[in-house]
Amino acid sequence: MDLQIFIDLQDKFDQETSLYEGINNAIKEMDRTCRLASAKLTKAHSLPQEQAKDVTESIKPQFVTIKQYIGELSQLIKPETFYRYHDRWTNVLQTACALVAFSIYLEELRLATPADVEEYLGFKVNTENADITVFVITLEEYLHGIISLFNELSRLAVNSVIVNDVKRPQHISAFASELYSGFQLLNLKNDSLRRRFDSIKYDIKRIEEVQYDLRVRNLI
Amino acid sequence: MEPRKQQVMTTFLAYRNTLDAHYDQRERVIKCSRDITALSKKMVFSLLRITQDSPEKVFKDVEFKHNQVLELFAKMSKEMQGSNAMKYNRQATPGIQEYIEAVGLWRFLQYNELITKKQVLESLTIESDGNATPLVSVTDEDYLLGISDLPGEVNRYCINSIGKGDREAVSKCLAFLRMLKEGVSLVLSVRKYNNLEKKVPVLNSSLEKIEKAFYSMTIRECEMENINPATISPSGIAAECNMDTS
Repeated sequence: MDLQIFIDLQDKFDQETSLYEGINNAIKEMDRTCRLASAKLTKAHSLPQEQAKDVTESIKPQFVTIKQYIGELSQLIKPETFYRYHDRWTNVLQTACALVAFSIYLEELRLATPADVEEYLGFKVNTENADITVFVITLEEYLHGIISLFNELSRLAVNSVIVNDVKRPQHISAFASELYSGFQLLNLKNDSLRRRFDSIKYDIKRIEEVQYDLRVRNLI
Repeated sequence: MEPRKQQVMTTFLAYRNTLDAHYDQRERVIKCSRDITALSKKMVFSLLRITQDSPEKVFKDVEFKHNQVLELFAKMSKEMQGSNAMKYNRQATPGIQEYIEAVGLWRFLQYNELITKKQVLESLTIESDGNATPLVSVTDEDYLLGISDLPGEVNRYCINSIGKGDREAVSKCLAFLRMLKEGVSLVLSVRKYNNLEKKVPVLNSSLEKIEKAFYSMTIRECEMENINPATISPSGIAAECNMDTS
């Protein structure tokens, strides 16, 4: 009978509820862990470059936890349905990538690559639109993470001057403007990536102002 | 250019290519979806002419248009392989839903049944090299949203049928919409689903319109039974049969 169609759908949706619970739980825990790591990383703004490594070391446990929960997600999700649920965890993965980007800059003064993200978070970044056969971190999530880096860098430039470190802002200035040139190559559509990209210019402006202030006072 | 900057530019050029390819593919899906929507709507218009033309003529015409829609689906199918099916589902779903509405109406008019998801997939299956797989995949949500749009078109068919005095057709429409309403309510009882919720007011108002129209039809038939034609003048009959189908 026709009504049976709906009864069957009702059952199917019922079953999916437990899957949703698993997904939401993993995401909630990841979010909490990211917040903790983020809080710890803010210390880096009040310490000189030499002590940056202590800060990044302190969040290594959080990365282990995040890796574990992404692993849980990957177990729950079948690859063909990856994009069906993808919008749920995309925000927390963006934050995780941002943590990786900031950590790598603090430790090694360079841009975190997809390989770094894979090392820290345990899953590949899908840089080439490959068909999804395993759980991946999307290119957009990686790029969102890098965009977050600009904001940290502009704050870092300002805070470095406060602790009398004039070398760091110079490095940040060169680094940020290179990275921005790279970003400007992208053809973005009107989505969240584009909106966040638009905010980069304010960070660049702040970084340049720090440079100017130092120059004008002959501090560099 | 220094090596580090060169490195950055090279990597971001590669990212640009990846993103461009993705956006272009998404655009192609959107275009296919629009075309499918337009052609599916034409299928519906053809089907609604069943109250004026013969069923054979209508079904033949719909069959022809259906084959054209299948060509569009074949085109869209190229962009929706593997994980891309879900990736671009948001862009494809308007067309898919409109199509389900069209074949759903067809099924109702021809067989007085609610089309199942399986039957939708079968209608999207073409034989090629001995393989028979549907051209695109259809999610449960696509299916539900597609059939929940049927009340509007069934309503139109029903009102046209009333104009022809086709009591049986009206009765079928009424049963069909009642079943749809019950089914949709069942599904909404387990899951919060905004897109489906939005269809409920339309469903309810369609059902109400048909019930009212059926009521008018029934009342008028009772009136006609009570009239003895021999005692009325021609102008009297015209007054009695004053049609009010508002």
